[in-house]
Amino acid sequence: MVNAITRLTRHTHRKFAAIWHLLLVAMLLAPLSANSTEQTAFKSGLDQLLSSDFNDISQGIRLISQSGDERAFDVLTMLLEGQLYVYRSENQLVTIVGENGSKPIIRPLFTDANAETETVSKRRVKRVGINNQLRGQLKTELALLNLSSPLAANRAAAVKQTLGDIDEALFSRLSEQLATEQDRTVRELIDVALAIYRLQAPGSAIDQQLAALSTLGASYQPAARIAVTQFLATEPEAALARSAESALTKLDGRVKVAELAETLFFGLSLGSVLVLAAIGLAITFGVMGVINMAHGELMMLGAYTTYVIQTLMPDHLAASIFISIPAAFVVSGLVGIGIERGVIRFLYGRPLETLLATFGISLILQQAVRSVFSPLNRSVATPEFMTGVVELNPLLSFTLNRLYIIVFCLIVFALLFFILRYTRLGIEVRAVSQNRAMARAMGVRSEWVDAMTFGLGSGIAGMAGVALSQLTNVGPNLGQAYIIDSFMVVVFGGVGNLWGTLVAGMSLGIANKLMEPWAGAVLAKILVLVFIILFIQKKPRGLFPQKGRSAEG
Amino acid sequence: MMNPQASLDSNQRLFDRSTVSFLAVLGIVMAVVIGANALFPQGSALHVSTYTVTLMGKYLTYALLAVAVDLVWGYLGILSLGHGAFFALGGYAMGMYLMRQIGDRGVYGDPILPDFMVFLNWQELPWFWYGFDNFWFAALMIMLVPGLLAFVFGWLAFRSRVTGVYLSIITQALTYALMLAFFRNEMGFGGNNGLTDFKDILGFDLQSDATRLTLFFCSGLALALGYLACRYIVTSRLGRVALAIRDAEARTRFTGYKVENFKLWIFCFSAVLAGIAGALYVPQVGIINPSEFAPLISIELVVWVALGGRATLYGAVIGALAVNYAKTYLTAALPEVWLFSLGALFVLVTLFLPNGLVGLFKKLTGFSKPKEVNA
Amino acid sequence: MTNVVDFIRQTVDRDHVYDFMMPQQNPMLEVGQGFLLYLEGISVSFDGFKAINDLNLYIKEGELRCIIGPNGAGKTTMMDIITGKTRPDTGQAWFGQKINLLEMDEPEIAQAGIGRKFQKPTVFELQSVFCNLELAMAGDKGVMPTLLARLTPSQVDRIDHVLQLIGLVGQRNLPAGALSHGQKQWLEIGMLLMQSPKLLLVDEPVAGMTHQEMDRTGELLTNLAGEHTIILVEHDMDFVRSIASEVTVLHQGSVLAEGTMQQVQSNPKVVEVYLGAEA
Repeated sequence: MVNAITRLTRHTHRKFAAIWHLLLVAMLLAPLSANSTEQTAFKSGLDQLLSSDFNDISQGIRLISQSGDERAFDVLTMLLEGQLYVYRSENQLVTIVGENGSKPIIRPLFTDANAETETVSKRRVKRVGINNQLRGQLKTELALLNLSSPLAANRAAAVKQTLGDIDEALFSRLSEQLATEQDRTVRELIDVALAIYRLQAPGSAIDQQLAALSTLGASYQPAARIAVTQFLATEPEAALARSAESALTKLDGRVKVAELAETLFFGLSLGSVLVLAAIGLAITFGVMGVINMAHGELMMLGAYTTYVIQTLMPDHLAASIFISIPAAFVVSGLVGIGIERGVIRFLYGRPLETLLATFGISLILQQAVRSVFSPLNRSVATPEFMTGVVELNPLLSFTLNRLYIIVFCLIVFALLFFILRYTRLGIEVRAVSQNRAMARAMGVRSEWVDAMTFGLGSGIAGMAGVALSQLTNVGPNLGQAYIIDSFMVVVFGGVGNLWGTLVAGMSLGIANKLMEPWAGAVLAKILVLVFIILFIQKKPRGLFPQKGRSAEG
Repeated sequence: MMNPQASLDSNQRLFDRSTVSFLAVLGIVMAVVIGANALFPQGSALHVSTYTVTLMGKYLTYALLAVAVDLVWGYLGILSLGHGAFFALGGYAMGMYLMRQIGDRGVYGDPILPDFMVFLNWQELPWFWYGFDNFWFAALMIMLVPGLLAFVFGWLAFRSRVTGVYLSIITQALTYALMLAFFRNEMGFGGNNGLTDFKDILGFDLQSDATRLTLFFCSGLALALGYLACRYIVTSRLGRVALAIRDAEARTRFTGYKVENFKLWIFCFSAVLAGIAGALYVPQVGIINPSEFAPLISIELVVWVALGGRATLYGAVIGALAVNYAKTYLTAALPEVWLFSLGALFVLVTLFLPNGLVGLFKKLTGFSKPKEVNA
Repeated sequence: MTNVVDFIRQTVDRDHVYDFMMPQQNPMLEVGQGFLLYLEGISVSFDGFKAINDLNLYIKEGELRCIIGPNGAGKTTMMDIITGKTRPDTGQAWFGQKINLLEMDEPEIAQAGIGRKFQKPTVFELQSVFCNLELAMAGDKGVMPTLLARLTPSQVDRIDHVLQLIGLVGQRNLPAGALSHGQKQWLEIGMLLMQSPKLLLVDEPVAGMTHQEMDRTGELLTNLAGEHTIILVEHDMDFVRSIASEVTVLHQGSVLAEGTMQQVQSNPKVVEVYLGAEA
């Protein structure tokens, strides 16, 4: 019965009065009405969408997609995303462009932004509903539309969407495409798509299936793995099964490598955060023997500086990040110098007391931030150039913000290394750290060096805060979360050794991420802590201890 | 330097003037509080409410904890930033006993499993919960678990000669790791919420005035006994070896003392004291949860000792009481100010009161024994 | 087959002592000579720098041996090795015939009877002179015995006797930190006496002393020799001459010369590397 109606509708919908009557008039009057067949198909397709019968809509989708109209892609996309509405009284397709109170503002389809809008009651518009079957159909049609797109990326996306889900029609369409396709990626994708079809199609010859298996075995597409697994489940004959198994082994191997690479990447990015957090600490602890428990709060200040600068210039996200880096360095650096001059310099030679006093300062800074900015977390927006992913292959992609953090960490490390190695301050800092009395005798103003060292370490904490603001929310407890980890990095790497800090931070990050899959995030962290506790007992001076007589006792 | 002979002699006696006065003050306060609560009716001007009694009982357990910290920090020179962990472990051992005492009176009415296990859909009691229905077993664990942790940790740390700030930091990491662990539901200690909703202890209702008074009394008694035990240690030759280790560890070693053994035993004893304090704390506050492991708590109790004055024992008690009274008052009246004050306290005490309130008092009253000998 | 028989015979033999049960003994030591300290082939290096290089040193019982040598000759490192602070890379160090110093840590070595006086006087500054001596006193230094220890009258007498010996009777109850530099040195020597060691290692006892103090210290040390074996590291040539005894010259981590002060002083090699600078 339904089919009968559909058939009727297809040919005689103009005469099909009743419900659609008004719509037909509107359609005839609409500017779209032209006489080319292309447009007629497109228009009648649109008409079908007004129905509440899924069969009609399915018909409409096919009409639209086959019409060759340039707007087809947009309409179908909108339909897929649920942005298409029926305005009941006018029986017209509309989109919702805004809201007036709870009432939607609608605009007829295919009118430009200046076109008349109308505010109507919610009840008078109805979304064009689709079900799962239609969704599948829409995706395929969209894919087909995309296949003729001039952009290679669009074509690739189209093929990818159809992987493992193609029928005979699509198969022949893809085969045609392969003949003319120039882009390598698209060709590879089509190869995989065709191979999956050949593998699964009931009529394929064995040698075709074998060839398909070898194609799939070389692929990076997750769909290829699914197809091979499914194929194995159908218990094919021995030769095919063997070939399928070897393909699966290859695919699995590739998945494992990709997973490992991803874990390493996550580990490196976590490690970079740890290194950024710890490296400032390594300087103050290593050079001055000062335990700065407020180090985490200096990072927090850096993160808040980012937040403030972003609030001041909301329209220039990217610029605000670049301004934040030096600004955070200065803010945290100055606070650090303040702490050194105000408290720490009275406590030299009493490391335990310094620890307590700086912990007090950390409490004060936390509460100050709570009082000024509220105890709630603030979120800092990520500029566009840092969002998105770099896809190496379908199994492996790196998120950009983490990639930037790794790069940022390495730059900071290199800069610091340069400063300590080649600048006058660096030389003086190393002199004071190795023999304070002697350095003073040589005319190094050790007080000034102390203040500058502490400022440098604190400023780097501020820059670490900028990086952190891109990963987590900014809140008063931001620093506390990292302070113990950073100490662990410094202690693990060996005090007063920049390379040690780098290696320790990176390896702890990677160890953490390696353990996470089987131990869980919290347990992994506990295990790392326990490991370090045991490690320190074995090698109290860390991975790269300062050797020699001066380090004894 | 005025009369070193006198000060020396008094320092080496178990019951010197400071100890006698401390015990007397403690006894009088306890007698007055208990009397005022029990003898005067509610509404009388002299009545001390049960709420106040419990609050003071809580302070006394803190004081005992502070004494334990002073023993290792003041006399042995080990700045432990993880003593909160021993306190919390003792508390958890007591909490487990109290949980088992609930029996089938919990929300889910399971006769064996505590509510949170039923909630997590566990079928049987984890092995480490066995035995905690017996008080004697729980009491044993209250001392054994913190002691054992201290032993294992100390054995590793002291033997490899981890000292100073390194030791402080890894003690902090220790309590941090424990906090993370206890937050996990899978650990079987109630996760985030910890253990709470206790009903009674040894068959006595925890909410009743009499039980609360008894708990207060026990806290005071534990403090007095713990204080005396520490006093016994510091006045013995062992105490002087501890000071020697604190001031010149290498020299002590060359004098023939196995420094790591001394550190280990005093550290363990201190951990056991902290565990007992935690066990008395839990029934009075009615809850134990993983936040007791937070590094902030452990480091805060170090400042109690610093404020009171290190290496005096009674200074630790004074500091614990003063800071906690201020905390109770400020977090209620001016919550914004509390962290500022605590932070400032850390800074000011380290900068201006190296010998704490006790040192300040001695300086002001001219009661200046040569501090060095007395220490 | 014979192996099995041997094994059974060994196992059945009541008097058989297994190799691993045999107390380790210094194989090279000639008992007849009465050596108390025996160092042979000791080498140690820090970061490639050889602080001690194939050092051989034999000290007889009751000897007072002076060790001299320019800076960096390895004198202090040698002391560190004897007292267990530093482990040598190679070599042997035996105390008497049965005590292998390389297997012991500092307190064990101290309890075995080797006392050490540091270059910089280190005493327990915040405790009284009396307490310092009490702490150093020989006896069971375990944790529990220390907790329960009470001074017996004879022990008090002993401490007072040492106080007299080092001339600090008047300062008995003063904190050790209040003593003068020289007094601290004497207190430290006193502490060594309380330990009643068989071997005393004394590192530059007269550094920073007035002449009077120096004389008193020399007297103290010569009194001690005979009853105790003493190794004395010293820079001050006059002081070494004044307590004249056997002298060993260290240079670049090994022994350059040994003999009386006169012999050593006339040794051309020594003159070249060391005394030459003074002459």
